[in-house]
Amino acid sequence: MYGIIDCDNCYVSCERVFRPDLKHTPVVVLSNNDGCVVARSNEAKKLGIKAGMPFYQLQEKYPAQEIAVFSSNYELYGELTGRVVSLIRQEAPNYFRYSIDECFVNLKKLETPDLKQWGEQLHRKVQRYVGMPISIGIAPNKTLAKVASHFAKRYPGYRHCCLIDTEEKREKALKLFPVEDVWGIGRRYAAKLKALGVQTAWDFASQKAEWVRYTFHNVVIFRTWRELNGEDCVPEEEMAKKKSICTSRSFNGMITDLADLKTHISNYAARCAEKLRQEGSVASVVCVFIRTNPFREDLPQYENFIEYPIFTATNATITIVKACTDALEKIFRPGFQYKKAGVIVMQTSPESAVQSTLFDINDEQFDKLKKLDRVLDKINKVNGSETVVLGSQQYALRSNKGKAEVFANVIKHEFRSPNPTTRWNDIIRLK
Amino acid sequence: MAKVKILGKEFSHPNELKFADAIKAGFPSPAEDYRHDGLDFNRDLIRHPEATFYGRVDGDSMVEAGISDGDLAVIDRAVEPAHGDVIVAYVNEEFTIKFLDLSHQKEGYIELRPANPKYQPIRISADDDFEVWGVVVWTIKPWKR
Repeated sequence: MYGIIDCDNCYVSCERVFRPDLKHTPVVVLSNNDGCVVARSNEAKKLGIKAGMPFYQLQEKYPAQEIAVFSSNYELYGELTGRVVSLIRQEAPNYFRYSIDECFVNLKKLETPDLKQWGEQLHRKVQRYVGMPISIGIAPNKTLAKVASHFAKRYPGYRHCCLIDTEEKREKALKLFPVEDVWGIGRRYAAKLKALGVQTAWDFASQKAEWVRYTFHNVVIFRTWRELNGEDCVPEEEMAKKKSICTSRSFNGMITDLADLKTHISNYAARCAEKLRQEGSVASVVCVFIRTNPFREDLPQYENFIEYPIFTATNATITIVKACTDALEKIFRPGFQYKKAGVIVMQTSPESAVQSTLFDINDEQFDKLKKLDRVLDKINKVNGSETVVLGSQQYALRSNKGKAEVFANVIKHEFRSPNPTTRWNDIIRLK
Repeated sequence: MAKVKILGKEFSHPNELKFADAIKAGFPSPAEDYRHDGLDFNRDLIRHPEATFYGRVDGDSMVEAGISDGDLAVIDRAVEPAHGDVIVAYVNEEFTIKFLDLSHQKEGYIELRPANPKYQPIRISADDDFEVWGVVVWTIKPWKR
């Protein structure tokens, strides 16, 4: 069995940990630079606020409505979600974190007779320890676990944990589940399915294998169909979100040294940048994660995941490598033996859609970076990959004083909450 | 990109065994049997690192309990609050540190009691949407600023 565990309205829930008074108030969190809405509480969703709504529109549309607005505070979200993952790891050591607020766990070796109870307990524990509400979906494969997780979120009756472990439950769940919400079915295929009269996940799962094959000629769709029918066929790496690129590795041995980790991270970052350029897109957020070996219970455990915004969306190797190594420095702790690390670049969009912002590097520099990357790609293509690499891909990065930090200081974050878990000056005041 | 300094996550440090390899051959060190990891507040005083938060005492409402303005409180959310505990709660849009008095539960209310006659206890009725935010497990008092 697999479990999908995610934080409910993650960023909003993080803000509410230190603002219990906002428990029932509509809350939204804005993107970098306070541009648009990236997270909404259930109350905000009920008001009709959509993800991606520009902030000025929010002000225009709801002039009289009380809405608590926060700038994104990745420092706080990183810390609190790290605590959540640490608790999950204690209950299920075979876990894979695939975004800041989502984890899947392999429960095959878990010795617990009652998974539903296990999930409910985990929810209660995380809620109490960290103040974060989570939902848990458990099923024989990841696609069905995702379905279960939707139910766990939507209906309070499940007490935050929904288990699909019988044929009867599978049928009942899939019949209620719109086909477009099935994980792995894109909008395009959902439209086609609907045009063919397939409305629910159950309608789709009940089709014959040949029909699915000949209608779509697509392995992913076919695999989704198999999973809906109870088979287990989606590999771990594909859990990472669609609009993101992930490069990660488990090391042969263990790594303790920051410089060594940096070299690895630089290479993963360079690889991600290359992939971005190949598909003509740019990323606005990089994530770096590192972890020790959770199966070596005899060793001290540490795991962290950081989302690190890039000021202007980019696919320049230098910028992405720099952001990733900076991010790594924030989460690296000495004294641990690291087993796995990775880079995820997120919120990718087409390169043509990039607008350079007011505070960003000037056009000349932008062109230089572009030229550099073109040359880099060309040389590496002609002479074999990694013929030319950045210094940091080979050696420890020397300086941490780059431009990015200067840009960071001008990022707009008018409504940013304090950081009571990471800064002494911000800890809560007790009257 | 704000500067990120994660203090809360780093809870325990592997301790160097300073004398472990001093003698490679010959006599086993007589000290070896007494080798022990050093004392570590992070490890020994913080029982639930994921549930531990810190607060700064602001004011004198608990002064007679020995908790004064500027003290640092270590708050553990994993601990079940019990009668008589020093707790942190969120009341009237602020965090407050008080004794938890459950002796009137049968009468339908509980009280948050200050330790200073200047202040009134805060009465909370059973119908109020009230939660104990966390239990104070330690306070740290600076003697030298």
